[in-house]
Amino acid sequence: MKILGNNVQPEVAYIMAIVFGVLLLLLFTFYILSKKKPSTMMDELFLRTRSWFFIAIGIGILVIAPSIVGTVLVSYVSFIALREMFSISYFREADRTALAFAYLAIPIQYYFAYHGMHQPFLYFIPVVMFIGLPVLLVLSGKTKGIAVSMCLIPTILMLTIYMLSHIILLFSLEIPNFEIGASGLILFLILCTSFNDVFQFTWGKLLGKNKITPTVSPNKTWAGFIGGILTTGLLAYFIKFLTPLTGLQAILLGLTIGIAGFLGDLIISAIKRDLQIKDTGNLIPGHGGVMDRLDSMILTTPIFYYMLVFFIN
Amino acid sequence: MKNIFRKIFYGLLVRPFLKYIIGVQFKYESTFENLDQFIIVANHNSHFDAISILAALPANKLKNVRTIAAGDYFGTSPSSEGIMNLFFNAILINRKRKKTERSSIDILDEYLKNGESLILFPEGSRGKPGVLSEFKKGIAVLLKKNPNIPFVPIYLDGLGKVLPKDKFLLLPMNSIVNFGKAILPKQDKVESIVAEVKAAILELKDKNNKNKKYGYA
Repeated sequence: MKILGNNVQPEVAYIMAIVFGVLLLLLFTFYILSKKKPSTMMDELFLRTRSWFFIAIGIGILVIAPSIVGTVLVSYVSFIALREMFSISYFREADRTALAFAYLAIPIQYYFAYHGMHQPFLYFIPVVMFIGLPVLLVLSGKTKGIAVSMCLIPTILMLTIYMLSHIILLFSLEIPNFEIGASGLILFLILCTSFNDVFQFTWGKLLGKNKITPTVSPNKTWAGFIGGILTTGLLAYFIKFLTPLTGLQAILLGLTIGIAGFLGDLIISAIKRDLQIKDTGNLIPGHGGVMDRLDSMILTTPIFYYMLVFFIN
Repeated sequence: MKNIFRKIFYGLLVRPFLKYIIGVQFKYESTFENLDQFIIVANHNSHFDAISILAALPANKLKNVRTIAAGDYFGTSPSSEGIMNLFFNAILINRKRKKTERSSIDILDEYLKNGESLILFPEGSRGKPGVLSEFKKGIAVLLKKNPNIPFVPIYLDGLGKVLPKDKFLLLPMNSIVNFGKAILPKQDKVESIVAEVKAAILELKDKNNKNKKYGYA
């Protein structure tokens, strides 16, 4: 099948069509409801769905357009996430040189990812940047508060760049007898991660009683967590045709993505609670910042990648 | 020619760069449509402040808006004078001029009488980020001399982190240029007008920090 001159596997096209169809339907419903009986909740739902619609366009570009376009897109998302994390954290004026170099890590890391250069991809941020950034901080000569910056900058790089860039490695992953390729894998990952968020939220609202982490994120309940990961496992089984996996492997991956997504959400929630902020930004209407949306992707992406590689070998 | 250049430079280059790379958000509480002449007053933390305000203005207003710069610093050679003129439409005022020369207030007043608009930073030099230092009286004198010209308060947040004082490295950081409503001063005493202008900027600052669900005040 050809879409805008790009070869697209029919499975990917059907899934994207369903996603857009459902989103448009929801958008239309919320629009009518908010016009009929204006309320802040309806406006919020409409805004949220509209933002999901734009996110879906981004995902569509990622799975349909040539991989170079997807790489540029994901690296820009990484850039916004990094900028957001830098903006909400306390930094000293002496940290500015190191922060500037931290931004430079984005094109380098995504270059390695795009060309499938696994070795430098793996060591660039955890080794080169992990050594280089503290050296730059030391060279500034100001030691007051330097330990916090030394820990914070590499951690933010790992969260916003390293983890997310694994998605681009999927483009150069070669799997014998598997035609759908990276677009199917990326779609599988994003669908499982996003719907896991939705499932956990819904189960929590329906049955949630006992809180898991009352001090970090009071909305998380055991019912939401368990119901969420089980439903995600089920979803993974139904969309396993996007991957080269067997049914059991797909379910295992779905369950793991469920747990990882939950943990990623918790990590960002804990950071926000420490900084006493509600959202990491306001770039996505109805959602908050980019990091508020990416929180679960941060953990699910590398875990999905390494489990997938483990299964197909 | 100069105006077309500025329109293209700010509209097609600076504005997208600020928005998509640096992370500046432009917020407007009123439009400039019915406003022919105005004095923009903003808090001052960065060399980037004036550029951001110029980039935030509607393109058709750019031609009459003038910035003010220190002539003894920027006007020392014809080339730097030319750059200040071309990019910033700047009025260069020599801070080290003789007492017998015209006062800066008189110079600026003449531009206002000619129908031009100004961008002023009443704090004078750049202060600490997030802290509003004492306002100078010049703005109030100008507003008093021109009772029909409104002032437009702007609150700038985060630009002090993008480019702090005495730094050359530009760093992307989420920041805000928040335009308030145009106000005609109600008071007629210089001190009261200064207080009015400061209150307008502080109000924008409070509103901004309240709406801001993220980051620090």
